[in-house]
Amino acid sequence: MSEQSVIHDIGYQRYTGPRLGRGYAARSLFEHGLRVAFGLGRSAKAKIFPWIVIGLVMALAVVVVAVKAQSGEMILTYQELPGAASVVVMVFLAVVAPELVSRDLRNQTLPLYFSRPIRRSDYALAKLAAMATAVWLLMAAPQAVMFLGSAFTADGASGVGAEARGMLGGWVVATCYTLVFSSLALLIASIASRRAFAAGAIVVVFMVTTPVVALMDELGKGGTASQIAALFSPLTLPEGVREWLYGTSSTDVGPFGPVYGLVMLLLVAGCASLLVLRYRKVSL
Amino acid sequence: MNMTIAWITARGLLGRRRSWLLLPMPVILIGLTAVGIAFDAPTIDLADGVLVGLGVATVLPLVSLIVGTGVLGSEIDDGTVVHILTKPIPRSRIILAKLAVASVVSAVATGVPMFVAGTMVDGTRLGLGLALACVAGAIAYSALFLALSVVTRRPVLVGLLYVVIWEGLVSNLVAGTRTISVQHYVIQFAAELSGTTLFGTTVSTGVAAVMAVLITAVGTWLATQRLRSFSVAGETS
Repeated sequence: MSEQSVIHDIGYQRYTGPRLGRGYAARSLFEHGLRVAFGLGRSAKAKIFPWIVIGLVMALAVVVVAVKAQSGEMILTYQELPGAASVVVMVFLAVVAPELVSRDLRNQTLPLYFSRPIRRSDYALAKLAAMATAVWLLMAAPQAVMFLGSAFTADGASGVGAEARGMLGGWVVATCYTLVFSSLALLIASIASRRAFAAGAIVVVFMVTTPVVALMDELGKGGTASQIAALFSPLTLPEGVREWLYGTSSTDVGPFGPVYGLVMLLLVAGCASLLVLRYRKVSL
Repeated sequence: MNMTIAWITARGLLGRRRSWLLLPMPVILIGLTAVGIAFDAPTIDLADGVLVGLGVATVLPLVSLIVGTGVLGSEIDDGTVVHILTKPIPRSRIILAKLAVASVVSAVATGVPMFVAGTMVDGTRLGLGLALACVAGAIAYSALFLALSVVTRRPVLVGLLYVVIWEGLVSNLVAGTRTISVQHYVIQFAAELSGTTLFGTTVSTGVAAVMAVLITAVGTWLATQRLRSFSVAGETS
């Protein structure tokens, strides 16, 4: 290099350290998504809605524990909690799902993500995983509170063991609810770039289908139509799966238990694939 | 009332793809009624389950919520509300124009299908009663949600909490809270106007009428007051 051509040498160097690849980026996206779901690391305004919902579900668990401590009667079992809280959980979906995906669409941050070493499907699945984890925690944490409250009043190790088995069953039911709710809600939200409309659309889909189930149940008069009625709303489908798995639900599924399991798997797989497809086609 | 603003609002509301979101709900309402009648469902089940359960308790509040928060909320969201606010138009007229558009759109989107479904279930009188009650409900809901969209930055979520938690859960468990629930005013109006015994509620017609007018008036007044001292800001973080 000749002397007159040198202006400054401010020490630019290539980065030679380790490069954190696709897995790290996807993990970061998941972690960030989970924090966003609960408003962690954000302003107090962003925490209001998720924590109102968490407070309501927790209050339900605390009431159950308090009644059990006083009278020894379990007014709501572990497995019944997700169903009892499902409408409140739906509000949580309407709060969190638009927050996770609609903001990125609206603020056009997707090109920034996709210029990193993550693939488009990684983005979609990381968001889905964050959503599912948040929804599962919303239902599983109150069940854990119920377990703790009951374990202290239980008699001996066998009582605690029975409570623990009850809680694990409750977690399985919570997982069914989580899979159906989060995959469907995230798919709906990923179509709308405005948070308000995404929230509205989620609630419309969940609530409009409920009377369909009630009417079919009424018309079927306990026959086949009644037994498959619960398939037609995301709010009642997991309850049918619970009846198939444990036989503890009040939903009558008759011989169609495996159908419920299959429909749930197909719905979740379908929603997840459509979500991945959506991000393959998304306009940046 | 300002015709230009009303016109712009109506176009912004209906001229986009997302206005299709409003269509499935009335279609499901009528379709479900038709299926119920085709399979000889008892009239009382149809009236209570479909007309009240789906129509009054779900379609009416959700349509009013999407429309009522859409007329002003979306303009606040993307910042174009500044263009209206800087014009020499009294804020009360802006609010009245928005309220009129929201009420008319929600009333048509719910009143017409409710009339059709009600007529199919139990004659024209029930249909007319339900339709008129839905129009009254649409006006009250629109005023409420319009006020919400100026009072808070997340009107849809606050509205959802009101519709789902307050009207959906609390007012069905604690009868006293029904005096502050638009849903129960609508049920009472419909029962009174059509003289039906198929459904009813615990709120008296007088209380329901006074409260519905009160909610509409307070909502409109509050929205006007808040819009007078409105500060323009970006999306909440």
